[in-house]
Amino acid sequence: MAARGFLVASLLLSCLAVTCYGVTFSSLQRTLLVTASPTPGQVLKAGEDQKITVTWSLNQTFPAGIDSTYKMVKVKLCYAPISQVDRAWRKTVDNLVKDKTCQFKVVAKPYSPSNNSFTWTLERDVPSATYFVRAYAYNSEDVAAGYGQTTDAHKTTNLFEIQAISGRHASLDIASVCFSAFSVLSLGGFFFMEKRKAARVSK
Amino acid sequence: PTPKDTDMELPNAATNSGDKKFALPVDSENKATEFRIYSAAAPHMRAFHLSWVSFFACFVSTFAAPPLLPIIRDNLNLTSTDIGNAGIAAVTGAVFARITMGTACDLFGPRLASAALILLTAPAVFCSAMANSPVSFLLVRFFTGFSLATFVSTQFWMSSMFSAPVVGTANGVAGGWGNLGGGATQLIMPLVFSLIRDIGVTKFTAWRIAFSIPALFQTLSAFAIFFLGQDLPDGNYSRLQKSGDKHKDNFKQVLYHAVTNYRGWILALTYGYCFGVELTVDNIIAQYFYDRFNVSLHTAGIIAASFGLANLFSRPGGGLLSDVVAKKFGMRGRLWTLWIVQMLGGLFCILLGKVGSLGVSVAVMLIFSVFVQAACGLTFGVVPFVSRRSLGVISGMTGGGGNVGAVLTQVIFFRGSRYSAETGITLMGVMIICCTLPLLFIFFPQWGGLFCGPSSKGITEEEYYMSEWNSTEKDKGFHKASLKFAHNSRSERGKKVDSALTPSNETPPTHV
Repeated sequence: MAARGFLVASLLLSCLAVTCYGVTFSSLQRTLLVTASPTPGQVLKAGEDQKITVTWSLNQTFPAGIDSTYKMVKVKLCYAPISQVDRAWRKTVDNLVKDKTCQFKVVAKPYSPSNNSFTWTLERDVPSATYFVRAYAYNSEDVAAGYGQTTDAHKTTNLFEIQAISGRHASLDIASVCFSAFSVLSLGGFFFMEKRKAARVSK
Repeated sequence: PTPKDTDMELPNAATNSGDKKFALPVDSENKATEFRIYSAAAPHMRAFHLSWVSFFACFVSTFAAPPLLPIIRDNLNLTSTDIGNAGIAAVTGAVFARITMGTACDLFGPRLASAALILLTAPAVFCSAMANSPVSFLLVRFFTGFSLATFVSTQFWMSSMFSAPVVGTANGVAGGWGNLGGGATQLIMPLVFSLIRDIGVTKFTAWRIAFSIPALFQTLSAFAIFFLGQDLPDGNYSRLQKSGDKHKDNFKQVLYHAVTNYRGWILALTYGYCFGVELTVDNIIAQYFYDRFNVSLHTAGIIAASFGLANLFSRPGGGLLSDVVAKKFGMRGRLWTLWIVQMLGGLFCILLGKVGSLGVSVAVMLIFSVFVQAACGLTFGVVPFVSRRSLGVISGMTGGGGNVGAVLTQVIFFRGSRYSAETGITLMGVMIICCTLPLLFIFFPQWGGLFCGPSSKGITEEEYYMSEWNSTEKDKGFHKASLKFAHNSRSERGKKVDSALTPSNETPPTHV
């Protein structure tokens, strides 16, 4: 009985712990200044060695010492609202543990207040969508403590597009068509063979 | 008609003189009276294995996309609405294809009919590799879905090869093992995808190549059916029709008697809420677990697979349960059991949507799957008795109704972003309960219904089944097979009725 009570209590506590560690986005301050190389509305192509250069630094207008807990910065590629419409798997949720806005990691670097920059080659599996860049600053417990992004608070300005690869290849297409034709033709062959058998019987 | 020697044509053809030895014991129609699952003896068990494997292949192809949707939706830039529409399209085609398939089997035989359908839908699976937009994705899923009509040819073929005492088992196992494909594909496709990706192919190309596996499997199964299969124990249709051994019924009459029998419509609706729900879940469950519980693609596939894999025993179990209950309680027992099992399926579905933790959710899903699939098997314990003359069309209508249920459910609850997936699942459970209620209205005058006993007018089985034939047809003797069936169906009165059964060679029929 006591053991069961202990189990239930520890289960509850661990659930609580998980949700406690889910910092909300709205609680973070926009302490970082982030810029990215794509111009507003620019269309980049994935898989063609196109690069994005991201720079970030601390926003000096904040009181000194705000970055005392910052240990690590993770820069991510994030979906703009227009690419989230009717796509629940890209939803923005305030609880950062459940948030799916930023699904691609650009780089993770130790924190420094200035002179940070990274050039990222667009990977081949980035889907076609409209994006912006966001950087999260993490403390030593790997909990988000601050952020910065290339767009405004409503995520409407300074967005750029990435066009994905299609994934199709000419050889694949040709093979598909050939096999399809083969299927249909063999059906014709079956009917022909069946008719011949029946004709032979009736003779 | 004089017996023809047809040995020169097919190595395993039977002669009408009946001195041909079969591997299994047979009845007077050369239908097997035993079902030996480990045998592949021609023609009976071979037909069983060919039919379930090809039906399995069609299920694998039809539901090959759902486990890979997390990749495909990014490649083709799909919205929730696009995904929902494609899922609906996948099960829409078979609505009419299933009804047509019954007729095709009648005209050409199950061997040619199923091989033809499989080969005509294989191009859709091959061409899935070329999809590049929401529209093309929808089209390939639509045309691939037609292949699910092989359900009808499977049941038809089993009814042609197996006699009444085992036909229910043969049908239940063939149907259940075919449906397994919906589960197996959730394991196969992610596995094939990761193998291809591990050799270095990029994600957006790997899924395309992965589709070649179900496509090739499907094509090969059609070849196997054509070269190794046989329509009837005595041979193939083309030959038997020439010799006059088969009489062709009047299509319009058959259709009329199916369409005017209200029980067929009620069963079509209720099948839509056991089998239709099964198809819907095949479409949405992998994505549900991936998105809601943040498991990996691989894990989501395994969980989704276990839903379909329960078909290994749950659908055959439902069929068996129907027969067991009928021994004591007759048709009323079959109806009650179907109603209870399907209602419970609905309850567990409601629960599934409400459960928020992964472990409990998987457990509830498994229980739900057993009830829903058993209900499918139980439905086809009632279907064979609705009509004798129009059995093919009633089976096709019920099968088609299953797909309509899948279409309706996905349109209402799983399209676009109006409902979250968990709300959709709960509401689907509510709809199952509502759409199972019409079973209360099924009434057989000779046996009764859920709440009423047999009609006080004393209608017999013969009167019920003979009402499907008019006097001209009776004069020509077309009704004789129905008469035999009517006599054998007296077992549906249940054990309580005084056994007025004359001892006959044939034990009571189960499903056809």
